[in-house]
Amino acid sequence: MDINELKKQSDLSYDRAIAKRNALEKANSRLVLAYNGNLFRADPQTICIVRTLKENNSKFFILDTNNNPVEINDANDFLNTLIERNQEALNAYHQMYETFTRKGE
Amino acid sequence: MMTQGVLLFCFDTEHTRYHKILERCVRLVKKNISKNITVVTNFETFSRMSPMGYIEYKFIEPELGNKLNGESWNNVDRHMSYELSPYDTTLVMDIDYFCFSDNLKNLFDTEYDFLVPDTAHDLTGRDSFDHRRWSMIPMVWATVLLFKKNEKVRKIFDTVKYIKENYSYFREMYRIYGRNLRNDYLFAMALQQVNGFMGYEKMPFALPTLPRDCEIIEMTDNGLAWRYKDQISFVKDQDVHVLNKEIANV
Repeated sequence: MDINELKKQSDLSYDRAIAKRNALEKANSRLVLAYNGNLFRADPQTICIVRTLKENNSKFFILDTNNNPVEINDANDFLNTLIERNQEALNAYHQMYETFTRKGE
Repeated sequence: MMTQGVLLFCFDTEHTRYHKILERCVRLVKKNISKNITVVTNFETFSRMSPMGYIEYKFIEPELGNKLNGESWNNVDRHMSYELSPYDTTLVMDIDYFCFSDNLKNLFDTEYDFLVPDTAHDLTGRDSFDHRRWSMIPMVWATVLLFKKNEKVRKIFDTVKYIKENYSYFREMYRIYGRNLRNDYLFAMALQQVNGFMGYEKMPFALPTLPRDCEIIEMTDNGLAWRYKDQISFVKDQDVHVLNKEIANV
């Protein structure tokens, strides 16, 4: 194997790994949103628990990012807000992912 | 009506034209945070600033700051934020924190008294900001603070002042590795004390940070690119805390 080719491939993989890591961190920061005066993360866990809780009641309690209990009075609005933010963050992550995947081709 | 705004500290030094960094920071705050801005500075620095639109200024004489590699910087006046801020809710930011996104704007829509981040994300992938190993309490990043004016928050700032006045004692007590007085340590200790050593509320994200050995090669209103060794990388629409002060010359 050509050692220069190997080094080139290794450098490229490293650059892509760093770019992916930073893009994921950016997406994680973007998942944070303010709702009813508290901070929530629009991640799969939050979306799933909200969807599950709203099956029984449109009002319920949920923990914010600092473990404070918050009453949610409009479950549909909250769920839509979470899903919208989740997809906005992941769409941006996907675009960035495509960019650095193409770079390796 | 409750007022909201961003408080920035800026003092030129012998080696660094911090007002150049401020001008970039203000442009991004206006674009992405869209809140009132107050700059705490001195007349010498103010006289060098280009017009930046409507901004409030507060003039103080900065206390002599720290030195790193023979270069000084004036960064120890953060404890005065409570008195200096004209706002009910204040976001205090280092001027080398560039908000390329509107993520911080979220924080104004919350009811927390005091928020501070406790982790930093090293954009070079080296995880070089793990401060837990440097003291016996978890550290915070006082690069960005959000506070509301009330009795509890006033006590936090009073405690920061007290710890600052007796810093060598508290540094020994909390076994802090670094010798320089840092706002990060001051606030970490004050928050521990005021909150009964039981933890406190935090910003739920890590501050994206570029270490000092990264050279900024380009910066626009959307992001920046840097060189680390032979590697060139960039971020777009993502906030960045830049530790290399040469950014004043980019």
